[in-house]
Amino acid sequence: MVLTHRTVENIDIVALAGRLVMADVPQVRQRLLAIVEQGSGKLILDLAEVGFMDSSGLSVLVSVFKAARAKSGEVVLLHLNPTVRSLIELTRLQQVFSIFDDEATALARLH
Amino acid sequence: MTRTISLSIDSRPECIELLSCALYGLCQLTGLPATEVARIDLAMVEAANNAVEHAYGGESGHPVVVEFHLTPERFCLVVLDRGAAMDSRQLDLAGTFGDPDFSDPDTWSIRGRGLAIIKSCMDVVEYHTRDGLNALSMSRALGSAHPA
Repeated sequence: MVLTHRTVENIDIVALAGRLVMADVPQVRQRLLAIVEQGSGKLILDLAEVGFMDSSGLSVLVSVFKAARAKSGEVVLLHLNPTVRSLIELTRLQQVFSIFDDEATALARLH
Repeated sequence: MTRTISLSIDSRPECIELLSCALYGLCQLTGLPATEVARIDLAMVEAANNAVEHAYGGESGHPVVVEFHLTPERFCLVVLDRGAAMDSRQLDLAGTFGDPDFSDPDTWSIRGRGLAIIKSCMDVVEYHTRDGLNALSMSRALGSAHPA
């Protein structure tokens, strides 16, 4: 799993690439929690290059969202592919995560 | 006629992806669209995760075997382990997902929902333990889209 991090106007944007599955969970959770801890708590997760995610991967998103909320921030999801979107809808978590198809709209949400 | 292939991996999370690679190859024989193959992959990965994480308690060095059975009508997968058996009632109790409450983080957790995901992705899911061998079998009819 490849993780790329940049910051735009105090909002962290992290792009993940690969399969987000149990084998990757410890490393990805640690890095995302560190970004939330050190940043503003406002995080865009760009999942355009995540082709597959299991429930352990989804649990990482939930734990990062909880950490962001604890800082009065938020995590929003960007560019979901159909497979990942299907898992999120199956678990009803689209009612927790805001999901966007373009970065400008996601940034506007977090400003 | 049933065609069968069996694969064995070590009980390490990083080995589960090998099963997915094999599954995608086998599914080329089924005619299933990519979205349906992804659902079968998700079910298999969740079952293998359970074997690694719960049956073997995260300990490596144990076998996780997946049998793939293909007939013209059905695609069946059986995930086998020799670790701690699951209470078979857990499978019956694994139901649909309720709506999480945005204002209540306690309702967001999806830990332990792997069985519910498996049941939602496959037509038939069964669990049996015999002589120390645990078998989670799941099957999917071919030739029709799975209901969302």
